Amino acid sequence: MSELKVEGKEHGANATREAHDAQSLKVDRRTVVKGGVIAGAAAVIATKNTAAFAQESYPEDPPAPQGPVLCDPRPANSPPTTPFVDNLPIPAPANPTFLFPYPTKVANIGAGEAARDAHQAWDQFPPQVSYECGAAPSLHTFHSDLSPTYCWTFNGTYPAKTFLGYYGVPQLVRFRNNIPVDHPTAGINEITVHLHNGHTPSESDGFAGDFFGTGLWKDNHYPNVYAGVDQYGGIGDPREGMRTFWFHDHRAEFTAPNNYLGLNGMFLLYDQKDPGHEFPSPGSLQLPGYYGLTDITLQLHAILFCPTANGRTEAYNTGAIPGQVDKWIVNGKIQPKFTARRRKYRFRILNTGMVKEWNLSLIGSDGQQKPMTVIAVDANFVEQPFDVTNRNINIPVATRYDVVIDFSQFAAGTSVYLREAQAQFVGVATPDPAPGLAIGNVLMRFDVVEREVWFPVDTPPIPNHLIDMPPAIVPDDYFEWSFTFDGSPRRFRINGEVFDHNRIDHAVLKGSSEEWVIANDVIAGNWTHPVHIHFEEGRIMSRSHTVRDTSGNVVSVDNVPLLPEELGRRDVYRVPGQDRLVIRLRFRDYVGRYLIHCHNMNHEDNFMMVRWDIVETVEELVQKRREIDERRMMAGLPPQYGNGKKNGRLV
Amino acid sequence: MANLIPNALFRTQDNKEVRLYDDIVKDRQVMVMMMYATCETFCPLATKRMVELHHQALAQRMGKDLFMVNISLKPEEDDPAALKAYAQMHSALLPGWTFLTGNQHDVDTLRYRFFSHDHIGIDTDIDMHAGSMKIINDPAGRWFHADAFASTRTVLEHIKWSDPQKSLPERLKDNRMLQREIDRDIDVYGYRKIA
Repeated sequence: MSELKVEGKEHGANATREAHDAQSLKVDRRTVVKGGVIAGAAAVIATKNTAAFAQESYPEDPPAPQGPVLCDPRPANSPPTTPFVDNLPIPAPANPTFLFPYPTKVANIGAGEAARDAHQAWDQFPPQVSYECGAAPSLHTFHSDLSPTYCWTFNGTYPAKTFLGYYGVPQLVRFRNNIPVDHPTAGINEITVHLHNGHTPSESDGFAGDFFGTGLWKDNHYPNVYAGVDQYGGIGDPREGMRTFWFHDHRAEFTAPNNYLGLNGMFLLYDQKDPGHEFPSPGSLQLPGYYGLTDITLQLHAILFCPTANGRTEAYNTGAIPGQVDKWIVNGKIQPKFTARRRKYRFRILNTGMVKEWNLSLIGSDGQQKPMTVIAVDANFVEQPFDVTNRNINIPVATRYDVVIDFSQFAAGTSVYLREAQAQFVGVATPDPAPGLAIGNVLMRFDVVEREVWFPVDTPPIPNHLIDMPPAIVPDDYFEWSFTFDGSPRRFRINGEVFDHNRIDHAVLKGSSEEWVIANDVIAGNWTHPVHIHFEEGRIMSRSHTVRDTSGNVVSVDNVPLLPEELGRRDVYRVPGQDRLVIRLRFRDYVGRYLIHCHNMNHEDNFMMVRWDIVETVEELVQKRREIDERRMMAGLPPQYGNGKKNGRLV
Repeated sequence: MANLIPNALFRTQDNKEVRLYDDIVKDRQVMVMMMYATCETFCPLATKRMVELHHQALAQRMGKDLFMVNISLKPEEDDPAALKAYAQMHSALLPGWTFLTGNQHDVDTLRYRFFSHDHIGIDTDIDMHAGSMKIINDPAGRWFHADAFASTRTVLEHIKWSDPQKSLPERLKDNRMLQREIDRDIDVYGYRKIA
């Protein structure tokens, strides 16, 4: 304990012993870069002086803010805030940087990189652009009426700066962990960063058990290729293109608090079809496409704030993370306003969690719902864009919706509102902004103005047909995932077991395809599980709902028609209680350890997660599947393979 | 953790009065398990598993920097003698192990704060929590999940995750050891089998 305190104190003074060593040796990371003495620094690595590269904080970094004094007990509600004061912040694009020590295929253990397998795609797609992303505490003001809040952020901003990548340009992001060892929040100073949706080799995928502590760093290699490299060559099958990603901390047991503190951001990928500009170019869909100008990310978050004290308004963060949050936050501001020119805009809406589902609609100043055109769901363009005019867009945790709003339908000088079905706490008496629209339900306001001369002209109408879907998947195998809340003791379980990062629950062969059933068999509660499958996009084949009587007997199994947004490819599947989804996926290009979990971050932290592996050879597959069944039988669970069902055909 | 753990009076299996926070949790790393003496399914299995682990790997640490506390879910039914009988039955009278009984209200407070699923049907049924385990690290102010039925490696790793954090040089050394394990796996099996 004393040791911990000493470390914390040293960090607070921003001068660790290691930093002193480094300074005295004059080989601290940045001096080396500035001086360009690369050869000399290489010699330093060889002479086992790791302190220069693995540091808990760097002397030139802005001093870490003083840790928060958290409120307890839980406040009844957050402090009041006046609506529509702040402008919608738009995260700046991340800047590529030169990395030193230079990234390597195998982990640079000597310089403090976290242990990992060698980068699988390194030789085929060596990184062409590199970024540095340091997780550290910083202060962020969520509203002008509030004081700064202690957050954990990447590179000091909340939301983190947006990565703008291009298909065919492999990139590398160095995630540094400079979160202090000693801090009073519910989060933990260990991170593993997952690029949500990425076709990412396993060692860069942010596996939940691969976290690293303060002072260490890790290179995540993102090849930025389409799925199907092995099959199609080049950079894969362009029909597998995905666009709107996000990255977030995935530390087992602490995903919810670490994300609540702010460790997430967005990552966009461009290609010919969606090139990031609006000029006519070959293959371009000419959608609104200037990042930050006509292509805006909306990162939704919800926080419960403590009363302002000592110049700070801290997020309530003591012990258990609150289920009851009452301030809705868009890009780090409460009820912001955005000036929209009379033309089309693309908004990439992301639910950053932890548990809240959003139900959004667009309301005009006359109180009527106005159309939003959905063009992409979960980073994948839908085949045919569709208007949402008479229902809410339902956004479970981690789901992304790309919508186009055409502001030319509104008169200049009017306002349009984004409405969330659940009301937030405002606390400042405000008249209803539109007939029938309470101020608490307003997430943000769009102020419509005429387009200035300097602003890009409107894009052509959205095409009726955006993409061709990849060919239909013919499954090689069949597997069922059953999400329950039972067993001994009662826990969230998948196929009867809780998460164990050392245990494999399913093995699939690289290059094969499978039909999976995702069943929410929770009888006790009516929990909805937004199930996320790492690595691969799936196509939903069907959804059915089981109706039970009070004693649990099945009354009927009804087929539920799919919504238009479920017809495309998805990576988060919303599975309400007693629903069964049949999906098909294909596993290509990379092998290793991946996860399936409920993206309700509290469920995920309570171990509603499984590890599944993609394997290279049939021998390994047979071996792993045999081990899985042996272990299950030892634990008194039914075997998963070769039990008369269609699954396990490969064994 | 002082604000989360009721500092209430409990009785040990030896009928000694203790304050839950001051005497049991404060400044310590404690594994907390919920059980009751007449529990027939989950508790004995979990206790047996933890006794096994104690002898396999934890004996060195138990009672020194790691503690095990079993808290009765039915404190009105379980008097210290009943807990002692339960502990004897499972050979669980080991260094660092405490069995506690107390006031129903305090037990429920603890249970709701650490094991609640925010669901009334589940949280009011004590059998849902029988055999559940959490690891509390008081100096760090955090608690961690644990599953007594996971593999030995996993349970030990969960305990390690909750350990006080080491200094940077020690963590770099652990990191090197892990990389060595990964490399050995790749050499021997061609994939990460154990690490």
